[in-house]
Amino acid sequence: MKKLLLLSGCLFGAWNVSAQVILKVTGEVTTPLQLQASDLKALPHTEVKAVDKDQKEHHYSGIPLIELLKKAGVTIGGQLRGENLVKYALVRATDGYEVLFALPELDPEFSTRTIVLADAVDGTALPTGVGPYRIVVPGEKKPARWIREVREIEIRFAK
Amino acid sequence: MLRWLILLSSAVVLAFTLRNDTPYTLPIPASFGHRYTIPADNPMTLEGVALGRFLFYDSLLSKNNTISCSSCHQQNRAFTDGFALSIGVNGRTTARNSMSLANLLWVRHFFWDGHSPTLEDQALIPMAHPDELGLAPEKAARKLQQTAFYPPKFKRAFGTDSITPLLMAKALAQFERTLISAQAPYDQYLRHQYTLTAAEKRGLDLFMRTSDPTKGIRGANCTHCHGGAQFFQNVFHNNGLDASPLDPGRQEVTGFDADFARFRVPTLRNIAVTGPYMHDGRFRTLDEVIDHYSEHVASSRTLSTDLKGPMHLTSSEKKDLIAFLHTLTDTEFLQNPAFSNPFLTQ
Ligand code: HEC
Ligand code: HEC
Repeated sequence: MKKLLLLSGCLFGAWNVSAQVILKVTGEVTTPLQLQASDLKALPHTEVKAVDKDQKEHHYSGIPLIELLKKAGVTIGGQLRGENLVKYALVRATDGYEVLFALPELDPEFSTRTIVLADAVDGTALPTGVGPYRIVVPGEKKPARWIREVREIEIRFAK
Repeated sequence: MLRWLILLSSAVVLAFTLRNDTPYTLPIPASFGHRYTIPADNPMTLEGVALGRFLFYDSLLSKNNTISCSSCHQQNRAFTDGFALSIGVNGRTTARNSMSLANLLWVRHFFWDGHSPTLEDQALIPMAHPDELGLAPEKAARKLQQTAFYPPKFKRAFGTDSITPLLMAKALAQFERTLISAQAPYDQYLRHQYTLTAAEKRGLDLFMRTSDPTKGIRGANCTHCHGGAQFFQNVFHNNGLDASPLDPGRQEVTGFDADFARFRVPTLRNIAVTGPYMHDGRFRTLDEVIDHYSEHVASSRTLSTDLKGPMHLTSSEKKDLIAFLHTLTDTEFLQNPAFSNPFLTQ
């Protein structure tokens, strides 16, 4: 049985290499997304400056979270009103760690800062254990929501 | 009018004797919070919990009537068994170390590799496993059906005396959800009812803090993974046991390469009584565990980023950490009569 599991794990692993889903966007969306590395590369990127735990300012480049929400059909912009204001994005990492952002925090019509899904810092790709994608929240004094190894973004209603 | 009332109330009483589903109120510690799910089709009742407790302690559930859940999950060891690997009904060992059953209500993925989503789902696995109880749940259900003892108990808990694996699992899950441990000296300290010794206090600070050499702060940052009121986060990590890990751990469940050799972060509540430690029981004592984190973390491709810098704790820092870990031993939990073997107290 254990062997079988191992074997299927290997097969699964092999399958993963050819078409590995890096990031999922799920929940209260019109189009759930299963994005591979190439899909993510093709999305609009921007650069932000932010201070990490080391107290130094770094240049991060990445995808503004709002772009992913647009692509998945989340209620943002003109639709972000009424009961949609109690929606939130739960961002989940490989290890299972989760952090939460209220939708208005991510929407440029509400917020002046751009929260990004960063893939590079100061011009180099994020190292393993941190990347391929990490949330960066410019201006946030404590980087506890700068969640590393992001694997899924789930949009939910507060119930 | 009065006659009707009497009739009505006796009907109500009758209904209650047929199916005594008295709600069971869990004593949820405020600091633990309510981020847990009890399946809507398995509400907690006094009768369900009592039945689950009998099943947990009954060796009828094993192939040759020799062992029960409680053989590998002993109350005085916070429901572990003191072995590196447990010994099943056939005398063979399990693949991994037995786990504490404290505060399962807040666990979101069961087992070391997190492969089981609910306690109801989980309970059937050790029943059937050849190196645990070794008896198909359907056969166990038939065995229980033939007793005089169990059918009325299922009737009271679930309104039917026809015993099925699903109902057995539901009762076991109800009992397991009651196993809450939140009365350790550390909890009393938080309520200002216990004063930590100087060593315990230094250990607490080391446990909670991140090292910051620029500010002269020493910290072991255990809280990063074992933090929160329950002393675990629902996360999976590779804590550097081996340079070439043999057990793929979480990867077997998700298929992701990044999950290779990651295991669930276990609770540190009652940790002084739950040795040997780690998924394979490789460390006999807490001293060995602390030595591991301090000096022997092995690098491999999925080693947690937070364990990459060596800690190099001094020997007095190690003693302080261990002193603190002992404040998590909840004797009230280890001796709570409600969790003990009901066949002995009857
Ligand atoms: C032969 C020893 C043995 C027996 C008997 C046994 N268990 Fe276990 N139990 C284990 C081991 C070993 C693990 C960890 C297995 C793993 O993760 O691979 C475990 C894990 C668990 C867990 C997961 C805890 C967590 O935090 O994820 C639960 C719950 C549990 N057992 C309940 C039960 C119940 C209920 C029974 C009886 C129906 C039972 N066990 C019988 C050895 C045993
Ligand atoms: C990066 C996350 C992480 C950090 C930080 C961490 N641990 Fe762990 N710990 C784990 C994981 C994962 C396991 C289970 C590993 C396994 O069995 O393969 C574990 C297991 C343990 C165990 C054994 C538990 C049992 O039931 O067998 C003890 C004790 C422990 N850790 C104590 C500590 C202490 C003390 C610190 C701080 C010095 C610490 N840990 C820091 C992730 C971490």
